[in-house]
Amino acid sequence: MKGSTGHFLSVNLSDGSTNSFCPPIDYYSRFIGGAGFAARLFVERGNFETDPLAPDALLIFSLGPFAGLRLSGASRFSAAACSPLTGHWADSSCGGNFAPELKFAGFDGILISGKAEKPSVLVISDHTAKVETYPELWGLGVEKTTAALKHKFGKASKTLVIGPAGENLVKFACIINDGHSAFGRAGLGAVMGSKGLKAIVVRAKDRNFIVEDPIACRKLVSELNSRIKESVTLSVMRENGTAANLEGGVHLGDVPIRNFTSNFWEEMAEALTGSTLSEKYLKRRANCDFCSVACKRIVEITEGPFAIPKGPGPEYETIVSFGSLIGSMDLAATCKAGKMCNDLGMDTISCGATIAWALEAFENGDIGVEECDGLQLKWGDINTIINHLLPTIAEKRGGLGELLAGGSVAAARKTGSKTREYNVHAKGLEAPMHDPRGGGHGLALTYAVSHRGACHVSSPMLFMEMGACYYPEIGFDYELDPLSSENKAESAVLAMALGSLENSACLCQFADREITIPEWVALFNSVAGFNWEIHDMMKAGRRIFYLQRLMNHRYGLRAEDDKISSRLLTPAVDGAPEGIKIEFDKMKTKFYNLMDLDPETGIPSSKTLVDYNLETEADIILKG
Amino acid sequence: MEFWKDETEPIKAFIELFNRAKQDTELYEGLKKVNQLIWFDYTENGPNCSFYVDCRGGEVKVSPGKPDDQPDLTMSLSADDAHRSWSNKLNPVMAITRKKIRIKGSATGLLKLAPKLKKVATIYNVTLKDLGWESKIIS
Ligand code: SF4
Repeated sequence: MKGSTGHFLSVNLSDGSTNSFCPPIDYYSRFIGGAGFAARLFVERGNFETDPLAPDALLIFSLGPFAGLRLSGASRFSAAACSPLTGHWADSSCGGNFAPELKFAGFDGILISGKAEKPSVLVISDHTAKVETYPELWGLGVEKTTAALKHKFGKASKTLVIGPAGENLVKFACIINDGHSAFGRAGLGAVMGSKGLKAIVVRAKDRNFIVEDPIACRKLVSELNSRIKESVTLSVMRENGTAANLEGGVHLGDVPIRNFTSNFWEEMAEALTGSTLSEKYLKRRANCDFCSVACKRIVEITEGPFAIPKGPGPEYETIVSFGSLIGSMDLAATCKAGKMCNDLGMDTISCGATIAWALEAFENGDIGVEECDGLQLKWGDINTIINHLLPTIAEKRGGLGELLAGGSVAAARKTGSKTREYNVHAKGLEAPMHDPRGGGHGLALTYAVSHRGACHVSSPMLFMEMGACYYPEIGFDYELDPLSSENKAESAVLAMALGSLENSACLCQFADREITIPEWVALFNSVAGFNWEIHDMMKAGRRIFYLQRLMNHRYGLRAEDDKISSRLLTPAVDGAPEGIKIEFDKMKTKFYNLMDLDPETGIPSSKTLVDYNLETEADIILKG
Repeated sequence: MEFWKDETEPIKAFIELFNRAKQDTELYEGLKKVNQLIWFDYTENGPNCSFYVDCRGGEVKVSPGKPDDQPDLTMSLSADDAHRSWSNKLNPVMAITRKKIRIKGSATGLLKLAPKLKKVATIYNVTLKDLGWESKIIS
């Protein structure tokens, strides 16, 4: 199998054993890599009855066929498991520098089971791996742990680390690569923590990457790299990061304010936008391996209450989660909050959203000073959030820490029915910082039908609605009106397949906007030798979408769970989308028809399962 | 061209639009913040079909033709699409994706102006009416 090594690393932390195994060769062309491959491996080796934080739960890291290719956007990879936050199948995507190194070390991924007796580190180098105990790292933040590992294994080694939140099984704990990039969503850091695994380190000597057609591949990669480098939209991101268009987003009503209760806050727009970050705090730009976009930020704040030394800065989601979402327009504070979340190892989206829930619950008297361990919570009080709430949550300190460490949905469940109205999520995953009422009604649909829950990277729907996609070869040659339901179900059919491809090929959804559909096919063919036509590629994307739905069906999800919080379906009270209602049911019914999904079970018919060659998987999942 | 009789018409309309936009405090301040020399290049519709806006140094100057200085940003498109754009009837992201608008240089300044396009369109429609070109207004 070209583009991949053909080998996965299997690690049992209970006895410290490590082995390499070769997944069936057909998995590569049927499920590609990344999220799709991880799902298929779980079907083969996982247990749907296992608690996500039990020792025999599986945690899977999976690369795509392009990891190791010197292509902008190709250095991402996936982590997947049953999510402790949502209770069903989920995956998360991370950029940075770990994926190429793991490929060069000889593995397409890592499958981890068991629980280490003592805090451990998995050390991988050139086709070998061993589990080493490091009790002294337990309790340390991500920064110190990463520094200690670099000191021990060399600066060139690449790391995946959890912070105290992962150790304490905070349900939205994340995993951080080299102190900067994150597997943010769905609480996979808690899964790693439950296994006593503090970190994974990889170091490879070789830089071998064998592709099917080196000449065609080199030519295509060179063309794509030039185009990505010259792209207007990506150069804007290079200049001002992923928050480059935050200001525009505010005027569209896309940026959530005070827990999605408002869609417009004019002064905040300029205060938090990417160009302001560049002017005030940017020290330099940073990138995932081989990517010329360099949308990542290195910032420094030299004075004031939120002073931080030079280091990784916030991207869009973090700026909004700890900015407008909690009622603040203090940009320096978002940098500090982002840095703390990284060090404690918490997903900034779910963390910010859970705090926003608490602020609203406090404002409405649903929780009081007593439940908040003596704290007064109020909108915009970023000092209390930074100095008290973040450490309280990460350490699960007191009643408040316990309450919020389970995420906003569990917190509302414990607190009482009225506070459920303040939840903004799908399938238990807090919504990211794009409000479908302004960002695009199709996003409401894709949040709802995404297997992991409210997720803006499960598909390129956001980009399709804003006009950043043009795929005539698969029928996407029309313009969408973000504030209408027209053509959204049809677009979502394409979007979910494309999203599955992105998350399985592990290509960055910013950089890959410049890649046309025929070029996607040519990449798969020249790198992995799939010998695909467009139709085969789109079929693989849809197959992965169906597989993940089958898995979630086994976890108990049904069609009725394909929904989003009522707050997002209530017309906005201000801003560009004021008064406009999302026709959610209409879009969902049409999507279900087009995808041949049963309106009760939410899974495809037997005929479709056959059409997509999923009979074996369906048998294992549904009958197993 | 669908909307214009000749290459002078669009330039007359667009320069008048910018001169009027300068009278609006919010737009004037917004333009000053762009702080770039922008060349709007419609030369695909004729060699003289272009104008530039110089927002550098705290002032906003609008003139026909190509600037002598090297522009910080060049936007090349057809005069018809420019008309649609100032009328707020052309999604700029989509137009860039489909290569209807070709951009050279940093588009960061323009991003700042994008939210103001609605207001620009209102002024543009009044401008067209005052120039006796009501029929060109896109409803
Ligand atoms: S665009 Fe940004 S996130 Fe995507 S690969 Fe490049 S540097 Fe990483």
